[in-house]
Amino acid sequence: MGTVVSLAVPAPHRASGPAGTTGDAGTGELETHDAGAWELEAAVAAVEQVFLAHDRTFSLYRPGSEASAIARGELALGHASEDMRHTHAEALRWRLDTEGAFTPERPDGVLDLSGIVKAQAITEAGTVLLALGLQDWCLNAGGDVLAHGSPQPGGSEPWRAGVVDPADRGALITAFPLGPATSRNALATSGTAERGGHIWVAGLMRTASSGFRQVSVAAEDIVTADVLATAIMAGGRRTLDIATERWDVDVLAVTDDGGLLATPGFRA
Amino acid sequence: MASAGILLAGWQAGAHVSEANASAVTTSDVNDTASGTGSSGTGSSGAGSASSGAGASAKAGAAAKAGGSYTGTAVETRFGTVQVQVTLKGGAITDVTALQLTDHEQRSVQISNRAAPVLRSEVLDAQSANVQTVSGATVTSDAYLTSLQAALDAANF
Repeated sequence: MGTVVSLAVPAPHRASGPAGTTGDAGTGELETHDAGAWELEAAVAAVEQVFLAHDRTFSLYRPGSEASAIARGELALGHASEDMRHTHAEALRWRLDTEGAFTPERPDGVLDLSGIVKAQAITEAGTVLLALGLQDWCLNAGGDVLAHGSPQPGGSEPWRAGVVDPADRGALITAFPLGPATSRNALATSGTAERGGHIWVAGLMRTASSGFRQVSVAAEDIVTADVLATAIMAGGRRTLDIATERWDVDVLAVTDDGGLLATPGFRA
Repeated sequence: MASAGILLAGWQAGAHVSEANASAVTTSDVNDTASGTGSSGTGSSGAGSASSGAGASAKAGAAAKAGGSYTGTAVETRFGTVQVQVTLKGGAITDVTALQLTDHEQRSVQISNRAAPVLRSEVLDAQSANVQTVSGATVTSDAYLTSLQAALDAANF
């Protein structure tokens, strides 16, 4: 289990070298070119450290993490670290703002902040990249995308993030431009694949669904995009309308019967 | 349409143009014109502009010949408080902007950016060759190996 992180940067020449790194944070893929190879290695290592640090605190798959201790009832939230309490508070604010569609409480009562932690880690990783002096990059952690600059160094061409077709995961239904010129830097997609939405009712298998198979949200920051994508998947059409009314975002939703709902930004 | 109705309410309440024959509002899709890049899906078409999607069209009143921007008074509607700003050039409305809107709980509301049903052919075009990254529902390490993102990453080697 782990979040796979891909980092793409523009390269005038493509000299390749596989760089696999292991750890619960996942695999870093990197492209290298002669001039900035060391910079890129440093960037990948720094990004990995960000995800590892978040993992150590928040991962419910690590028995020794703070989150696991809280889930077992060994640690009270009031005595948790500042990071944990701060993240929890932010998750609760999102729960209020989405009228309950986004919630960190799992049905079994366990506090699961992973929905917001991954996005926070991506945000922090992006800050680290900027601090390292990298202005043009596209970071993808488990399907959540955050971009800066352009795939042409110093250019105005935006990064283009494709959106998977839930009916055919080898195909794309659309591509969305990301970058400072567009005021949309982030794209997140939430779908039933990560939820396994089947339940058994009276011996018959039913799909618990609020109406959407997949929801993609483009926003200025990745936390907003990720939380709203999750919220709309859970809350359906009503949450979709709340999201487009209260936040400056673009949304593409795939309904259960394969139809599409899109805000103007996703229209050709 | 609801959004055209709100524009109308703001327009008629505007002190500068109350004498105009504003039985409807001209809403030319100024923000849908080309914005220089190949894709029209940039943020400018959605953020804050009330003209996209309204669809209504009519002639502006003969009295509204002056150029410039006019801000309507704040109007109470069933969506909350609405205020629009209209830009005129040569008697025609060239832009309509929804200013900050608030709902009854004083939260900001955008009415122009609702999601509408679209056909697959109507969304931004996607060709694998033109994208640098792929957004999908959370990909685990196992699923990554067969994912489009992996193909993209491999193609760059």
